[in-house]
Amino acid sequence: MANKKHWQSFGERGNSKAFQDANKNEFPEDLLPFEEVDGGFLSAPTPRRDFLKYLGFSTAAAALAASCETPVRKVIPFANKPEDIVPGVANYYATTYVEDGDAISVLAKVRDGRPIKLEGNELSAVTNGGTSARLQASVIELYNTARLRFPTIDGKEVTFDAIDKSISQAISGPGVILTTPVTSPTTLEVINKFIAKYPGSRHVTYNSVSYSGMLEANEASSSYGKKAIPSYHFDKAKIIVGLAADFLGSWVAPVQFSKQYAAGRKINEKDIKMSKHYQFEGILSPTGASADERFQTRPSELGLVAAALLSAVNGGSVSGIQDAKLKAGIQKVAKDLLDNKGASLVVSGSQDKNVQIVVNAINEALGSNGTTIDWSILNNTRQGTDSEFTQLLSDMKAGSVATLVVYNANPAYSWQKSDDFVSALKKVRTTISLNEKADETTQLCKYVVPSNHFLESWGDAEPRTGHYSFIQPTINPLFKTRQWQDSLLKWAGEPSDYETFLKTYWMTKLGGGETMWLKTIQSGVINPPAAAPAAAAFNSAAVAPALTAVSSKKKAGKYELVLYQKIAIGEGQGASNPFLQEMPDPISRATWDNYVMMSPAMALELLDIDIYREGRADEYEVHPEKPVVKVTAGNVSIELPILVIPGTHPNTVGIAVGYGRTGKIGKAADGYGKNAYPLAQLLNGATVFEQYDIKIEKTGKKSKVAQIQVHDRYDSVIGGKRTEVLKVLNLPEFQEDPKEILRDREEELKPYGGIENFEKQGTIYPYYDKPGIHWGMSVDMNACNGCGACVVACNIENNVPIVGKDEVARFHDMHWLRIDRYYTGDVDNPNVVFQPMLCQHCDNAPCENVCPVNATNHSTEGLNQMAYNRCIGTRYCANNCPYKVRRFNWADYTGADSFPNNQDQTTVGKLDATVHDRNEDLSRMVLNPDVTVRSRGVMEKCSFCVQRLQDGKLKAKKESRPLKSGENNEWDVKTACQQACASDCIVFGNANDKNSAISKVRRENPLRLFHSLEQLHTMPNVNYFAKVRNTDVKEPETPTA
Amino acid sequence: MSLFKYESELREPLVKGSKSYHQITEDLVAPIEVKPGKLWYIGFFIALCLLLFGVISVYTEVVYGIGQWNLNKTVGWGWDITNFVWWVGIGHAGTLISAILLLFRQGWRTGVNRAAEAMTIFAVMCAGQFPIFHMGRVWDGFFVMPYPNTRGPLWPNFDSPLLWDVFAISTYFTVSVLFWYTGLLPDFATVRDRAKTKLRKLLYGIASFGWTGSTKHWQRHEALSLVLAGLATPLVLSVHTIVSFDFATSVIPGWHTTIFPPYFVAGAVFSGFAMVNSLLLIVRKMMNLQQYITIGHIEAMNKVIVLTGSIVGVAYLSELFIAWYSGNRYEAYAFFYSRADLFSPLGWSYWGMIAFNVLSPQIFWFRKMRRNLFVTFFMSIIVNIGMWFERFVIIVTSIYRDYVPSAWTVYYHPTIWEMGFYIGTFGLFFTCFFLFSKYFPVIAIAEIKSIAKTSGDNHKWAVAPVEAKEPEVFAHEYAH
Repeated sequence: MANKKHWQSFGERGNSKAFQDANKNEFPEDLLPFEEVDGGFLSAPTPRRDFLKYLGFSTAAAALAASCETPVRKVIPFANKPEDIVPGVANYYATTYVEDGDAISVLAKVRDGRPIKLEGNELSAVTNGGTSARLQASVIELYNTARLRFPTIDGKEVTFDAIDKSISQAISGPGVILTTPVTSPTTLEVINKFIAKYPGSRHVTYNSVSYSGMLEANEASSSYGKKAIPSYHFDKAKIIVGLAADFLGSWVAPVQFSKQYAAGRKINEKDIKMSKHYQFEGILSPTGASADERFQTRPSELGLVAAALLSAVNGGSVSGIQDAKLKAGIQKVAKDLLDNKGASLVVSGSQDKNVQIVVNAINEALGSNGTTIDWSILNNTRQGTDSEFTQLLSDMKAGSVATLVVYNANPAYSWQKSDDFVSALKKVRTTISLNEKADETTQLCKYVVPSNHFLESWGDAEPRTGHYSFIQPTINPLFKTRQWQDSLLKWAGEPSDYETFLKTYWMTKLGGGETMWLKTIQSGVINPPAAAPAAAAFNSAAVAPALTAVSSKKKAGKYELVLYQKIAIGEGQGASNPFLQEMPDPISRATWDNYVMMSPAMALELLDIDIYREGRADEYEVHPEKPVVKVTAGNVSIELPILVIPGTHPNTVGIAVGYGRTGKIGKAADGYGKNAYPLAQLLNGATVFEQYDIKIEKTGKKSKVAQIQVHDRYDSVIGGKRTEVLKVLNLPEFQEDPKEILRDREEELKPYGGIENFEKQGTIYPYYDKPGIHWGMSVDMNACNGCGACVVACNIENNVPIVGKDEVARFHDMHWLRIDRYYTGDVDNPNVVFQPMLCQHCDNAPCENVCPVNATNHSTEGLNQMAYNRCIGTRYCANNCPYKVRRFNWADYTGADSFPNNQDQTTVGKLDATVHDRNEDLSRMVLNPDVTVRSRGVMEKCSFCVQRLQDGKLKAKKESRPLKSGENNEWDVKTACQQACASDCIVFGNANDKNSAISKVRRENPLRLFHSLEQLHTMPNVNYFAKVRNTDVKEPETPTA
Repeated sequence: MSLFKYESELREPLVKGSKSYHQITEDLVAPIEVKPGKLWYIGFFIALCLLLFGVISVYTEVVYGIGQWNLNKTVGWGWDITNFVWWVGIGHAGTLISAILLLFRQGWRTGVNRAAEAMTIFAVMCAGQFPIFHMGRVWDGFFVMPYPNTRGPLWPNFDSPLLWDVFAISTYFTVSVLFWYTGLLPDFATVRDRAKTKLRKLLYGIASFGWTGSTKHWQRHEALSLVLAGLATPLVLSVHTIVSFDFATSVIPGWHTTIFPPYFVAGAVFSGFAMVNSLLLIVRKMMNLQQYITIGHIEAMNKVIVLTGSIVGVAYLSELFIAWYSGNRYEAYAFFYSRADLFSPLGWSYWGMIAFNVLSPQIFWFRKMRRNLFVTFFMSIIVNIGMWFERFVIIVTSIYRDYVPSAWTVYYHPTIWEMGFYIGTFGLFFTCFFLFSKYFPVIAIAEIKSIAKTSGDNHKWAVAPVEAKEPEVFAHEYAH
């Protein structure tokens, strides 16, 4: 039975050959009879029966070939996957951000082979994980489309072999290596090797903005016998006096100083005290904005102020100061300084050697030498002196320099008489540039051997004596570039490359073999053992002549000029970086340009701009077109629009350097602002960024300045004094009545049950518990100095688009996080407050209930979320946001839109070239793959870095433990802004966790805690700590209309 | 003189010229049956040009993004929503005239209701363009529709006043169209019956739904009209109430105001009547309908204008009072500085609003002014400009300076495409209106016949010679 076979045909029964063949080939007909048409395909007769097949095939082929245009995308899998790289998981490598000698230890986040973000290296004892805006943005430069891509001779591409050969022949006799400060011990060795090969050569260090005055003051014949800058301890100083020193923005080492400064500004509510900071300056700097008391001085007066202060500190009288306010100020400062001997610090940004000697004498009198000033650890980042460079310049003119090798220095742009340098350069036979980009000096050089970006390089740095920081590459060089040390080694005839050189050097120095070397590279830093600050011997003999020199008042005209560096642009390095150009200046809140900073009094006198009365101020503030003035110093003049900056000395104007670059260094630099370096002057061998007699003329022209914030005043005269957005107090008031803010809040919320019951009674809706994680952020306004590192960190972490100057001028900026700057009090010398403003992640968010499509909604963890896919772009949420933190994609900034070719608008909203540049394949390499690039027409805003939160939660989950946010300083999650902040203003974490850092700071600081616009019952998850100003000077009461 | 004792001394006749029913039909169908005049062609061409400009403006905005307008991070709504509210407001008069006046048995409405209803429908069509095209991603606009879908499902947020708008306006539009069309049925039948060309017969035949004029048809027609009037009446109040919720439910000082619903409705009626006035004055001139749309009609509407204008005036004063009385400094700033201060950046718009909406309509307390066509026409334009200012004041002066001073801005003035969109809706409106005036009876023929006093007038004319005689003469003649 089981073997019974049911046959279907006789053929099957007999299993004949014919049956087997037929069975094998069940469908004998060919699908397409192509084999019949060998040869003449076109002439082949199409069988009638196959017509439909041909038709179908050809239609499909045509459709595939024509209509389905599939772009070629290369996906290259790892044939052999490296053990430590998991696709989609970021690796962090310790390296060092180096810019013009300034070196900050960082961790580079490398995602799928691409470095996309930099974080501070917390192991560094210098910066402790602090970052700056320029550091955050520097990763963009790696992918800058303007980077040089190959070596050239006279602009023609050549191979490295060819250029090495011709350079080796061309270098003859003594050469000069002109660089920005080099702190790397191995690089100095390399330079020495080069010098050894070509005897008579030398190394010249150039700083666009030099510290000659200070270096020379500290030098042998003057104060301390060291041509160096010591390290400072702002954290140990109870009284800090800045004499035109912008130490939180641009002076010497702002990141380190911010960290130290913030330590003294943080308030412990159990024992209320903080450092006191006085600032004397002509224009309002970010440092001056943070000061407790600020005095306006003309630049020419600074020496007198220093001398008067020295006299007062020595118990003498204050003489030579006309202004009564200033005089009283100096006496007050002197008294405070004397009361805090050994715990005070006076610093000056003056380029006048004599002023610096007087300042040294003040510090000496106060016992700062060896307490707040440490001479055992020197600051190596600013070594260039102007005399060195002027010597080089005259040598070049004399024709005694045969070869000039330039790295990073750019005197053709930044020397005050750049024409001198350009003509002198023509007398140098062999000019070699090792710069990464075709900057002004490189354009003049015959040989260009582009160097790597620091993220592609090996190296080391010694920013402070004994503090080493290492550089390791995080990506293969993107272009045909070579590290400049390699080039020098090659030309010096050394056999080894720089990597080997570095490794050998350090393995010898460190001992411990390969393991020790790898360990050092992994941590990225070597910190010296902690030691007490050491003093240096002070030469008091130099003081008397210096005093005589400064006391003779400088000849000054009616108006004076200060050239300053913006936090973002610096000496001009930031100019090619769109993120830095678009970062608003903390004081002027302007982007993309430089301008003339002018006091309200001068604006009223010269241009009839009245910002004293609110009604008239409107006229000035609401139009981006500002009047242009012509500033003339000697025979150099410059035409720039003005911005009225309260706090500027009435006879002084300020102009930022670093602008007026060409598009050759990047689209972002092209044509923005004007070069102000020619306005600097050489006085006593030092470049002084001041002019004491200038002319200011009206031109009748107007020019656009793109400001992110146009209304400056917080204490509006009309409409009553606002107090709910932010809160500021004076320290004596706070010490006397610590509960003032609490009481104000209680009063405000009294109709709704007071602070305690406000959440439940302030609404008609039912109350819901918030179990599990509840994210919260705390911002300490007392520590914030407005530096903007958080803003740039946020932009890069979250792929925030660059919109360009024209769009910023139309108030289309896209920043998720902004630092609002307000003036209060006296318009002529106001107090300044910085308030970082971001999405407050309100638990009762006004934006959420108005969205018709639920595109923005609340998570169970307290996040106010955006679902970009859902958003239809009604902008109702942005209108209804009391904090105005929502940002709309007005145009296709990112190229993410489904409409092709819609970035070429001509009539309205023309996009700047830099916006298009951001959409190049190269520029887009920096995008964070964890964050969606938003398309046109959708709303976006701060997400509390939700991608990081998910990552952190996952990490905790994998380890089966609760999430840690600051418990014992262990962090699973940190937002980008929090991580970037050098002043540690921002604390973030799970507010439902009693042990988290956020719960702790909220618990420990109930007296200063407030929520912005709390009375609206938005229930924000962001809280602020009120700003406390350490002054007994009361602000004048705001008059009410 | 003695003739007038048969007429009300207070109320003048609603139709002048003692028309017979036939005459009325002849007069009112004539525009459909003859070629339109040169003026019509010129007007229609201009309207089409404006419409084309609007289409180009909207195309540009859709392709390049909302950045083609000068809105910004602080002022998220500007001309777009201002124009939306303005057009919706205008779209109030038609239904009010038709529905509410029908319920109140106001006979005078028959002369103007058809055109007013058409205006309503076209105005709502224009209004609808703005919320649609103000969306950043208009192609995803259907996300607001609550229907079961495969997108999650994506369900709209019923808390959002914008969603209420969607329902309010679409409902209003639907009911208005139905109401209008119901009234049109007998008139289409009239045109059909008189048609001399096949095409006209066919098209009007289809449009009239087989109306025969039987008593049953009339009875159903009347019943349906009343039902729709009953439905439309609350809608007149609800539409602008809900539009006002867009602002009233927000947290923005100047928007967050409980007075908005009645204030918006009054304002809407105000602007609607003004617009009806502007249009009718043109139509009656262009189509020789002076005897159907009489000075009496114009005067009646001017009375409504002065009433509603005064209501909004009271509303403006109440807002100022509350801004002061509440002690809310943000609201005080919005009202006393951003608006009422003439020298603040946008103060001109507030005072423009006050001058045009509150002060100028007071001229209509004078009968002479109410009955002056030139003044009426001028005022109808002024009122509509004033009402545009009102919406602009509410929307822009509230948000450009609200809570956080760092976000304040006034850099808001329209771009060419923003203006083009607005101009384009005028194109759409007038294109529709010109087509309407050519192909539809602009006055409800059937309804106006109900108020034409043909029999009474015949009697009046017959009795006139008798009246003229002395009683003795009359008695003498009568006896013989």
